[in-house]
Amino acid sequence: MSDNEQIRFDAVVVGAGMAGSAAAIVLGKAGLNVALIERGQKAGSKNYFGGALYTHALKEVLPDFMDRKPPFERPVTEAGFWFLSRDGGLMKATIEGGKLAETELPDAYITMRAAFDAWWAKQAQEAGAFLIPKTTVVDFIRDEQGQVIGVQTDRPQGDIYAPVVIICEGVNNLLTQKLGLARRDVEPAHAALAFKQVISLPMETINARFGLPDDAHGLAVSVLGDVSLGLPGMGFVYTNKKSISVGLGVMLDTLAEYRLRPYDVLQRYLQHPAIAPLVEGGQLLEYGAHLIPEGGWRDMPQLYAGGVMVAGDAAAMVNALHWEGTNMAMIAGKLAAETAIEAHKRGDFSAASLARYRDKLQDRFILQDLKQYRNFARFLETHPQFMDVYPNFLNSALADFFSAYGKPKKVLFREIFGELTHRRPLLKAVGDMISMGKAVMGW
Amino acid sequence: MSTRRFWVFIEQEEGHIHPVSWELLGVANKLAADVRDEATAEGDEVVVEGVLLGEGVESLAQEAIYHGANRIYLLDGPVFKYYRTRPYSKSIAKLVKKYEPEVFLIGATTLGRDLAGAIATASHTGLTADCTQLEMGEVKGAKHKLLLATRPAFGGNIMATIVCRKHRPQMASVRPRVFPMPERNPAAQGDIIREPVMVTEDDAMATILEIIRNEGENVNLEYADIIVSGGRGMGSPDGFALIKELADELGGVVGASRPCVDAGWIGYEHQVGQSGKTVRPKLYIAAGISGALQHKVGMQGSDFIIAINNDPNAPIFEVADVGIIGDLYEVIPEMLKQIRAKKEAQA
Amino acid sequence: MFHALVAVKQVPDTTNIRIDPETGNLVREGVPAIFNPYDAHALAAAVEWKRKLGGKVTVVSMGPPSFIVTLREAIEMGADEAYLVSDRKFAGADTLATSYVLAETIRRLNEQDPVDMIFFGKQAIDGDTAQVGPGVATRLDLPILTYAVKIRDIDLEARKAIVERKTERWVEVVELPLPVMLTCDKEIAEIPFAPLPDLIRSLKYDPEVWTMAGPVEFDRGQVGVRGSPTIVYKMGTPELPEPGEKINTREVGVEAAVREALAKAESAGVLSAVLGGAK
Ligand SMILES: Cc1cc2nc3c(=O)[nH]c(=O)nc-3n(C[C@H](O)[C@H](O)[C@H](O)COP(=O)(O)OP(=O)(O)OC[C@H]3O[C@@H](n4cnc5c(N)ncnc54)[C@H](O)[C@@H]3O)c2cc1C
Ligand SMILES: Cc1cc2nc3c(=O)[nH]c(=O)nc-3n(C[C@H](O)[C@H](O)[C@H](O)COP(=O)(O)OP(=O)(O)OC[C@H]3O[C@@H](n4cnc5c(N)ncnc54)[C@H](O)[C@@H]3O)c2cc1C
Ligand SMILES: Nc1ncnc2c1ncn2[C@@H]1O[C@H](COP(=O)(O)O)[C@@H](O)[C@H]1O
Repeated sequence: MSDNEQIRFDAVVVGAGMAGSAAAIVLGKAGLNVALIERGQKAGSKNYFGGALYTHALKEVLPDFMDRKPPFERPVTEAGFWFLSRDGGLMKATIEGGKLAETELPDAYITMRAAFDAWWAKQAQEAGAFLIPKTTVVDFIRDEQGQVIGVQTDRPQGDIYAPVVIICEGVNNLLTQKLGLARRDVEPAHAALAFKQVISLPMETINARFGLPDDAHGLAVSVLGDVSLGLPGMGFVYTNKKSISVGLGVMLDTLAEYRLRPYDVLQRYLQHPAIAPLVEGGQLLEYGAHLIPEGGWRDMPQLYAGGVMVAGDAAAMVNALHWEGTNMAMIAGKLAAETAIEAHKRGDFSAASLARYRDKLQDRFILQDLKQYRNFARFLETHPQFMDVYPNFLNSALADFFSAYGKPKKVLFREIFGELTHRRPLLKAVGDMISMGKAVMGW
Repeated sequence: MSTRRFWVFIEQEEGHIHPVSWELLGVANKLAADVRDEATAEGDEVVVEGVLLGEGVESLAQEAIYHGANRIYLLDGPVFKYYRTRPYSKSIAKLVKKYEPEVFLIGATTLGRDLAGAIATASHTGLTADCTQLEMGEVKGAKHKLLLATRPAFGGNIMATIVCRKHRPQMASVRPRVFPMPERNPAAQGDIIREPVMVTEDDAMATILEIIRNEGENVNLEYADIIVSGGRGMGSPDGFALIKELADELGGVVGASRPCVDAGWIGYEHQVGQSGKTVRPKLYIAAGISGALQHKVGMQGSDFIIAINNDPNAPIFEVADVGIIGDLYEVIPEMLKQIRAKKEAQA
Repeated sequence: MFHALVAVKQVPDTTNIRIDPETGNLVREGVPAIFNPYDAHALAAAVEWKRKLGGKVTVVSMGPPSFIVTLREAIEMGADEAYLVSDRKFAGADTLATSYVLAETIRRLNEQDPVDMIFFGKQAIDGDTAQVGPGVATRLDLPILTYAVKIRDIDLEARKAIVERKTERWVEVVELPLPVMLTCDKEIAEIPFAPLPDLIRSLKYDPEVWTMAGPVEFDRGQVGVRGSPTIVYKMGTPELPEPGEKINTREVGVEAAVREALAKAESAGVLSAVLGGAK
């Protein structure tokens, strides 16, 4: 390649994460010459999540994904909520069997990003995408009208031309901001800092501690209550094959306001009498932290402009309550790719042509859900008791219930009720329920 | 009757012996002792011999005898004035061929490593680098005891013992300060055998145009009697001012753990440990050093170790003779105070 | 035209090595493989001089197929061609057998296209032996300079080079005839951030793989385990000495803790040089 020869592709995808590799798979399969640019040493080396991946999204992007041996840990066969109380109690509300076991393919699989993302990007390569690692996109190349016609990378002689660019850069959406699509960084009040540890334990120990028959069974729970020092936040526990992932997310502004060090919050959570025995004796494999954009609908940037589209976390496509992010990212990546393919057919990459992307998202759960939950982030901000008081109440109520043998049940219920009103005046509690409804149901 | 020869390369530059040479003579004598019974039974003789190259270095040969060599092969000539790989390795390979030593030990210095690799290849034999333990031991299927050369592998996490079954000599390179210095015995007797110099300047294929000396920078960590080392626990490069103050007060030198060197707090020449220097001072004070394996292997041979660390579970305490659990910024100033007071009391 | 040949090796990143506390075994899983750092600097120097003088850089490595990644990285860094010498029969090679395979390979490459300078790293960080370079030079009967830190000049007309070498005591400035081998320390050259076209070329590049079957004719007795005089006889974990006494400043106070520690040091006789004779 001579020095003045331009590097050209039919499309550029920025970021080999959930959204990016999905977009590249779809573009590659359509026969387009696509560059998938990733700043990490490998796809996944910079990425972190809880977590669980939803098979519906994987299947939609890559129908035969199961035949390609994805590096999953365990299927989710038990899911739900745990409530921790301040006095060390634990209440479990999880489901196993039932609907979870009905489908042929489990709904969700627990995974580790480092392995999964590498595999996911490999599927894109196999579909024909050209993966360029260790390279960061720093800016765009535009024509006179301002339409994006390529990207600039941080490498010498690093320009890459393409008529369409799909930005899948994740939560730190600097490029999206550079285009003026997002106005500013995610606000601290709308972002959770999630931190977690992966702790290795022998497979048998994990099975015994979590009551799982074997490694074809896995548990994924959200943990509420005495998780994050009474601050708005939610914890999680996932069982991998030979390790468990435990962590929690706390709103960024809260951390700042109370001057908390993430590590201390996590340590405290790990020392909770209900959590400590689960991790006991394990060896720390990794510790990491990552932002989750929880602003949703209200923080969503403009999703496209001439020559570009934005997908995934970069566009705040996360439903925090349901731990949905990866599936939205994958499907949005796919929809952006389909839009790019259509644009290639028309030979028109203008904003008007790429507007189809938004329509496609609108037709699907992504924009619908995000709109429905549009008030959720703010709701949590104004109703921290949902993360703390209620879970604690439920917990102690249950404890009362099951320790009330020989006690008049009238008294019991009066006590429980008294406990609630003691924790939260009744009227307020009713108001909370209504607000919750508004936030979740989009009332 | 045959002779079983245990060889040591006597390293010198500009007439200065590298002390590792004496340490190796010490181990070679120990190895020779390991096989003495076996040899006596078979009517063989066991000797420790040194190989010395240089220009005008005969007096050093005598020193080597005082440090435990029974015999020295001396190659003296201008072509050996400064070390160059070809004249040295070719000449020594010839001697190896001529005398067929059983074991050949070379210091793992910059010079020694260069030389050892070349000699081993020329002699078509095995070489174990950076050994920390050496013994002659019985190995199944071998008629005579073999050199069991143990060295750290995989970042010091594993000790691997390597043997060279059939090829001779069994070569090993050994880092300075891994083995103790033997006593000098001025009554010791031995022969000095002058070997003919068969290489010429033309064979060298390297001309030293200039030598740039940087005396000021030389930190003689390896042979210091007292070392005060600082680690990442100091929190900032400023901590070395305090470490230096204590080192100066004790007449010692400053050491460091690798993170401090990597962070640029202090120069590499101060690094103690597996990828730095092995040290064996009389007193080693470790302040704010956790005691990772890679650090410990470099200092655990010290006579007396004082560790200062505020974490009672720090692994450095496992090798310390005295551990002070506390903040180094409180402990070191107090130490300075008490040492100064003691000195004054003596004066 | 300058033809440089660089020998590079892939090594486990020793800074990431862990030991399984239960079994005491090495955990290889998840330990990333990296470009031996010294070799990367050596390659950077070769590329730098190729850019100055015009010519090409050929890279060679002996190892399993996974080393292809490293050779691609070499292309990314500006090498022009890469060769992997790989065969199951090479497995278990010690430094003597490794130097044999590399020397024979280099001999062959030199016949294809004469080499002016051969670059090695000063050592590979997995074994830290620093033996292979001098071994190869000995086999090829080439002049060698170890611990090279700076190339002052390469004169292709006069067929000589001037190189600085750092020893424990000083820096030597040495003139050597070409062809010559250098084993390089990190100071020899900075590793540049590769231009995008080089990265793209590397991602598509497939190094040529040579095996026992050819084109070099290797002597079966000199490669792999058979060609290695040394064997690993046993492995173990390092032993720990008995720990000494711990004094907690929180319990006895700083003053008393220091006093006790110094008293112990004194009675062990290690402070005599400082304070006069031991008690
Ligand atoms: C702790 C935690 C738990 C979670 N749990 C779940 C869960 O259980 N289920 C779920 O569905 N979701 C979960 N999520 C959310 C989910 O991880 C994200 O929504 C999803 O990964 C977003 O995908 P993405 O492709 O948009 O971004 P990412 O996966 O973050 O990918 C962005 C990629 O772009 C690269 N990149 C960024 N900038 C550049 C640039 N300028 N040039 C080149 N490359 C660049 C990055 O290196 C990265 O590889 C969780 C998140 C966290 C933090
Ligand atoms: C192949 C390889 C080679 C290596 N080679 C070397 C080598 O040659 N040399 C080397 O040193 N390391 C080497 N290392 C690195 C080694 O593994 C450790 O990372 C390193 O030794 C740790 O340095 P440290 O003890 O200074 O830092 P840390 O491990 O961070 O320890 C700092 C200590 O300071 C204590 N502390 C903090 N504040 C205070 C205070 N105020 N007062 C008292 N104590 C305090 C802490 O409790 C802690 O124990 C090597 C690693 C590898 C993998
Ligand atoms: N298998 C190999 N393939 C290519 N080069 C090697 C190999 N082993 C060692 N080398 C080279 O020899 C140098 C010294 O290696 P070592 O003797 O193992 O410390 C390395 O820095 C490499 O340049």
